[in-house]
Amino acid sequence: MKLIFEYEQQPTEHVEQIQTQLDLPSELIRDSLPLPNVNEIDIVRHYTNLSKKNFGIDNNLYPLGSCTMKYNPKVSEELARLKGFASIHPRSPVEYSQGSLEVIWELQEALKEITGMDDVSIQPAAGSQCELLGIMIAKRHFENKNEKRTKVIIPDSSHGTNPASVAMCKLETITVCSDSRGNMDFNEVKKKISPDVALVMVTNPNTLGLYEENLLEIKDLAHQNGTLMYCDGANMNALLGISKPKEQGFDMMHLNLHKTFATPHGGGGPGAGALAVRAFLSDYLLVPRITKEDGKFQLDYKKEKSVGKVHSFYGNFGILVRALCYIRIWGNQIRHVSENAVLNANYLFAKIRDSYHVPYDRRCAHEFVVSAKNIPNGGTIDIAKRILDYGFHPPTVYFPLIVEEALMIEPTETESKETLDKYAQVLVNIAKELREKPEIVKDAPHTEPSRLDEVKAARQPNLRWSPQ
Amino acid sequence: MNYIPHTKEDVTLMLNEIGASSIDELIENFKPCLTSPLKLPEPMNEMQLVSYFSELAGKNKIFKYFVGAGAYDHYSPAVVDHLIKRGEFMTAYTPYQPEASQGMLQAMYEFQSFICLLTGMDVSNASLYDGASALAEAVLLSSSYTKKRHVFVDNGLNPSYYEVLKTYCNGSDLEFTNTIDENTCCVISQNPDFYGNIKDQRPLVEKAHHNKALFITCINEPTSLALLKPPGEYGSDIVVGEGQSFGIPLSFGGPYLGFLAVKNFLLKKIPGRIVGMTEDKNGKKGFVLTLQAREQFIRRERATSNITTNQALLALAATIYLATVGRKGLVDVAKNSYYKAHLLYEKLGKIGFKGLNEKYFYNEFCVKTPKAASKIFSQLLEQKIVGGLVVDDDKIIVCCTEKNSTADINAYLEALK
Repeated sequence: MKLIFEYEQQPTEHVEQIQTQLDLPSELIRDSLPLPNVNEIDIVRHYTNLSKKNFGIDNNLYPLGSCTMKYNPKVSEELARLKGFASIHPRSPVEYSQGSLEVIWELQEALKEITGMDDVSIQPAAGSQCELLGIMIAKRHFENKNEKRTKVIIPDSSHGTNPASVAMCKLETITVCSDSRGNMDFNEVKKKISPDVALVMVTNPNTLGLYEENLLEIKDLAHQNGTLMYCDGANMNALLGISKPKEQGFDMMHLNLHKTFATPHGGGGPGAGALAVRAFLSDYLLVPRITKEDGKFQLDYKKEKSVGKVHSFYGNFGILVRALCYIRIWGNQIRHVSENAVLNANYLFAKIRDSYHVPYDRRCAHEFVVSAKNIPNGGTIDIAKRILDYGFHPPTVYFPLIVEEALMIEPTETESKETLDKYAQVLVNIAKELREKPEIVKDAPHTEPSRLDEVKAARQPNLRWSPQ
Repeated sequence: MNYIPHTKEDVTLMLNEIGASSIDELIENFKPCLTSPLKLPEPMNEMQLVSYFSELAGKNKIFKYFVGAGAYDHYSPAVVDHLIKRGEFMTAYTPYQPEASQGMLQAMYEFQSFICLLTGMDVSNASLYDGASALAEAVLLSSSYTKKRHVFVDNGLNPSYYEVLKTYCNGSDLEFTNTIDENTCCVISQNPDFYGNIKDQRPLVEKAHHNKALFITCINEPTSLALLKPPGEYGSDIVVGEGQSFGIPLSFGGPYLGFLAVKNFLLKKIPGRIVGMTEDKNGKKGFVLTLQAREQFIRRERATSNITTNQALLALAATIYLATVGRKGLVDVAKNSYYKAHLLYEKLGKIGFKGLNEKYFYNEFCVKTPKAASKIFSQLLEQKIVGGLVVDDDKIIVCCTEKNSTADINAYLEALK
């Protein structure tokens, strides 16, 4: 398909034309503006045709592990677009933006109940910004206690964001291996914990889709050492109404609201994050805080211990509206979300486990990891590409890094048994195809384009269109 | 209301396949297990939900805006929202499987191109969270590239951006200084600045480069780029900013669109996703995420940033916006915004307001008010006008866009009588 820059037409007029002289010297103004002019009909066709070359949850099952690709209710889209929400300027006086503040307040209250935590900030734009914030809070907490702690313990199964966030805060990551059951190895934690460890960051259930069986012992060890426990809540879709992370011993946790609470992932974003903390860390949360007095909401910037601010305004408000929608839809029955997410994952796992290698033979949570290492004639990449031929999206592949030829599968609660049956059949078929007629898998996908040259893309970067 | 398709029979069949007697058996090892339901309201059906949220939305009052300060009330053509709502775009995620994501990948390549064309830079990434965090990422990049730790911020940076920058810099052990010297890793200047001033950046660029510091231009109001000299042409090494003006709703401050563009020599240091054009196994043109060796899921603690999720759908909105208004429309938007602001400025001058801008401004200006700024602000509010941002007892920053009609401007002046 051609690029939008290759059109040159009479454009459609959307705003008033104006003839005005600019009172600006020539050194401050540009000589030319090399953008295209395109009439609206070809804008609509260009992007409609592009959309047809894209695959979303609305097309079919999209079981990317750790990404929680569940159905995104259409009503939430409509509600986030209500004029009162979509058209309100963030600099509107608080007395005229009470509706927005109430949405944020109600969401915060719900998240406190869901996590068990005492306070929460919804300003971060995504999970990774929550991690950064959590580590900053830990740093500040220990500075205030005159303790110098420079290390963070992270399991080898963690998301890459965890060590990357640690590095951004100039702390050191101490990696702990997983044991034979896929848990964080307790003996190794015991060996590596020391007075300079600030945090233990744990994903629970972990990226293998397994509940951390040593969590309570690790928590005790950490707390005896004065170390804080941080939960990467990317996998909260397994725990809603079932178990509260505060009761699991965490001092802080983040939620990826776009994952757990069904806001559309937008082809990569926007998301929204929430960082929930225990009371003793509350003063460090971001400003402004929303307060409620006599039924009126206010913004409070006067928090001396706060680590500051991470967003231009108050957070990704439009996403917060959608997240609150999902929470209100389920209300006090929200446990069904996680129960069915776990049911669906265990069902799909049961249907395919005989065709793949199972690295950790345990009942899974909301997702599971299998390996293609025992299948002859091809690897995970071939399986992923072949899944596309069958009209489905592949799972997350080659992650977590500790499983060779990994396929990480998270079906979510919104998929029907029929869809799961079809997906299972596809996975079983492909394993069989690799044994019997591997070419068909190695050549997949039989679509255009197929197997793009990533090495060429990186070695000879072509990252933009330029005018002739 | 319920988005779980299983019948009771389905659940029984599924449990049989798993070899479990109940769902409870599947979750019994999730400890400590809650024994009672969460204290949340009763579930809502769709009609209840619509009524609940409509009531909340109704508690917000939408006035005429003469305020910008980082968020701008521009007109967004109907096609923008219409097209981004297509489920194939909206319900996809990061394009890890390029064969199933060519649509979004091409759109991101177009987005990167638009940002480069507007800023005069060589390379853009495929978006960051918002303008403020994009600035923070640019500073971290500068420190990592120059191996220096001092940050210099020119006057006129949006104070909210400064707060975010401070937070990131504290976290990363970087320091702010009041001078530019050999320890400076970057010089940051907003253009037009928070007060609306259009600045000749060349002397500051020279000073930065003389000290082997990177020069970062920060942009709050990107429609200004339709008229103003692209920062790449006056020597900026990094341009960051907020893309909300390009068709993205005000939405109480988010989600917005951070962008970051650099000169070629910084390519390997750029944070976030980048899309590149390549060929497939049959020589057909296509797009992929590229230069991923910079990213956290491969590089972990040695990554250029921790960013994962970005603002792809809003980058798509901005791309469609820029394509739709086009070269001609974007200039119209900018000239209208410029003209309306200058018209109001002139008229306020006649009723006792004193201009405080240095020389040239775009669509925002700062004035000294003839009486308490808060009083002026309240007077305007009574007429359903948000008249600007009060920044001092007697100072207000006022903004216009193409949406502020001559009638609105007259209403503004009328309210002050």
